[in-house]
Amino acid sequence: MDFINQQTTPQPVPKNWLVESILATIFCCLPFGIAGIVFAVQVNKLYEAGDYEGARQASDNAGKWTKVSFWVSVGGIVLCILFVTLFGGMAVLNSFRN
Amino acid sequence: MKRAVALVVPAAIISGILLFYFLFDARKTTWLPQCPFHLLTGFYCPGCGSQRALSSILHGEFLQALRFNVLLIASLPLLMYSATVMIVNKTTGNHIVQKFFYSASFGRIVLIVILAFWFLRNLPFFPFTSLSPNDH
Repeated sequence: MDFINQQTTPQPVPKNWLVESILATIFCCLPFGIAGIVFAVQVNKLYEAGDYEGARQASDNAGKWTKVSFWVSVGGIVLCILFVTLFGGMAVLNSFRN
Repeated sequence: MKRAVALVVPAAIISGILLFYFLFDARKTTWLPQCPFHLLTGFYCPGCGSQRALSSILHGEFLQALRFNVLLIASLPLLMYSATVMIVNKTTGNHIVQKFFYSASFGRIVLIVILAFWFLRNLPFFPFTSLSPNDH
């Protein structure tokens, strides 16, 4: 754990979303997380090369894909629970009728 | 106050998720969502098996979790390191940068490992079948 040296780095490194996109890849079950990791690597590479504007854009993209991956899977789980509750409830009602 | 919220809210969400996968065992339930990639292509993605692995861990069966998704277990130390730094930053107001995650070579290694895992776990012969979440 180090502090970023403000004297040698004129701009702070933009958030690279690497950890978040790894989480999204492993837990969200969606290849969108991979896109997040690709952009996270871009952030690191461009920042090390001194391209701060490019690193910032890559950071935005990494964040975007990580969030897409996250919300798609949250949506999937919510739909799934709704589906089970709805049809589970209907099955219970049906069992009363029969 | 703001700092407390920043810690309590994520902690509550994570505890909720863990409780969910403890109560609804992904190894036994059939209604939990399947990976859309697996559903569409029949191939496994790097995240396939993680719901079952999570339920395995929560029921204390670590070896079984390894078989469902090795990558999940392998990433736990990294995630814990990251979470620790985050908690320290949030509680003390420091801005410790996780330099480790900001080196280009580390990012590239992560990408290569995940892509390799994605490819290898779909190979239908030993020893790669042990990486697949099924076939046990």
